[in-house]
Amino acid sequence: MKIGIMISDISNSLFRRPITELYPFERRETPESLRGMLHWNSENCTGCGLCAKDCPANAIDLIVLDKKAKRFVLSYHPDRCTFCAQCVHSCRQGCLEMSNEEWELASLDKDQFHVLYGVKEDVENILAGSPLPDVDRIE
Amino acid sequence: MMEKKIMDETFTVPIGPQHPALKEPSHFRITVDGEIVTNAVVRLGYAHRGIEKAVEGRNWIQNLYMLERICGICSHIHATAYCLGVEQLAGVEVPPRAQAIRVLTAELERIHSHFLWVGVAAHEAGFDTLFMYIWRDRETVMDLLETLSGNRVNYSVNILGGVKFDINEEQADAIRKGLDYLEERTNHYLDVVSNDAMFLQRTSGIGVMTRNQAEVLGTVGPTARASNVARDVRVEAPYGAYFDYPANIVLEERGDLTARFVVRIKELFESYRLIRLILDTLPSGDLETRMPRRIKEGETVCRVEAPRGELFYFIKSNGTDMPERIKIRTPTICNMTSVVKLVIGHQLADVPMILVGIDPCFSCNDRMVILDRSDGYKQQWTWEALRQHGIDYYHEQHS
Repeated sequence: MKIGIMISDISNSLFRRPITELYPFERRETPESLRGMLHWNSENCTGCGLCAKDCPANAIDLIVLDKKAKRFVLSYHPDRCTFCAQCVHSCRQGCLEMSNEEWELASLDKDQFHVLYGVKEDVENILAGSPLPDVDRIE
Repeated sequence: MMEKKIMDETFTVPIGPQHPALKEPSHFRITVDGEIVTNAVVRLGYAHRGIEKAVEGRNWIQNLYMLERICGICSHIHATAYCLGVEQLAGVEVPPRAQAIRVLTAELERIHSHFLWVGVAAHEAGFDTLFMYIWRDRETVMDLLETLSGNRVNYSVNILGGVKFDINEEQADAIRKGLDYLEERTNHYLDVVSNDAMFLQRTSGIGVMTRNQAEVLGTVGPTARASNVARDVRVEAPYGAYFDYPANIVLEERGDLTARFVVRIKELFESYRLIRLILDTLPSGDLETRMPRRIKEGETVCRVEAPRGELFYFIKSNGTDMPERIKIRTPTICNMTSVVKLVIGHQLADVPMILVGIDPCFSCNDRMVILDRSDGYKQQWTWEALRQHGIDYYHEQHS
């Protein structure tokens, strides 16, 4: 039986720097493996839609404009995303990757939480709400 | 005369669902005679999230993430239990390297869970110094988990058929270095919980559970092991890489709160040993095998050792890409009966300590249903009938 075993912890801590960091003024380097914002490279996409089917949070929709011509638009909702990277893993073509730098995604603007990846023209058409023939949506 | 009457009366203290002492919702009705508890009733179910129903409408892959979110502390072990069950149903063999990484993450998770628990229990005992310092040291293991997986909680290490990431030498060295620091601190904390006179007043001889009681009440995990019941799934029925990296069981005889602290802290040394062994002898090879999207028809049970005790999964597939039924039993539900028994005879102020002694996780366990209709019909099984049903069911399946 002893009394005050933890007094040494307290006295040692008096002369140490605080263990906490003054975020956002001090930033720790993010680990290589950190899973942040999702990015899509359409080059190799075959439109299989596994990313959308396997997403546990329904954060991904793959809009198939023309499967033969490989015209796809990936609609991504970072606010729904749980950053599990299952889509990155499910994609056999390696089209998806998660950034380890873009992780501060809070925003007051709702539009920030709906990202459309694809050819500029297609994205603009979708944003403008213009009717697109034979659109298939994989959710 | 009047005084005599008041003395004879008992008083019922309702605690919860919202209460400053309990961070999660649960309701206790504690009957006291003066300061001494004479009876206790627990009511659970305030955090029921319908997860078992929700998984029936999602595919096998999506469910991995749903089930991982049952518990924020032991998320990895839920995913592991699910993966082991589904892989068993699909008849898929996971590569040894992936199995070792799963066990390594599970042991890191055990370290963070036990550190967290010691902190919470110390806070309930009014020993906030221990709470603060042990949580500071817990950050070491949280950082290691972040370096490995990218996340501090819900690491999502598992995928069906393997794991998502590999461990390189740099990460292995970081883990070894972190473990050296944690081991030194753990020795210090073991000294604190077993020798600090003030702390022992809150834990020594409080909530004593004999070995017989622990067995009869069906306790699991460190709560049972603190009462000298050798119950550890890693040892009794090894799974995954525990065949290659056998764990040693840690037992204590006293059965009081001090024993529960000592068992958990001594288990940390076992986790450090296992992690170092895995890092030194990590098998080479693939990280995953191919899994079918549709799982063969069938059913299986799967048991793993979560930080709090035995975690049980029942998985039934109907041959589609969605499960037909998944039943989960978490360790807290097994240990909860011990709380209402053990508090009797103790002071009211000891109730939170005895409750926290089992390391309860309320939102984990809220999925049990007992039918008790107004017409008097009750659906319940006696222990004997349930045992017989199990035997008959087993024979039916294997005949």
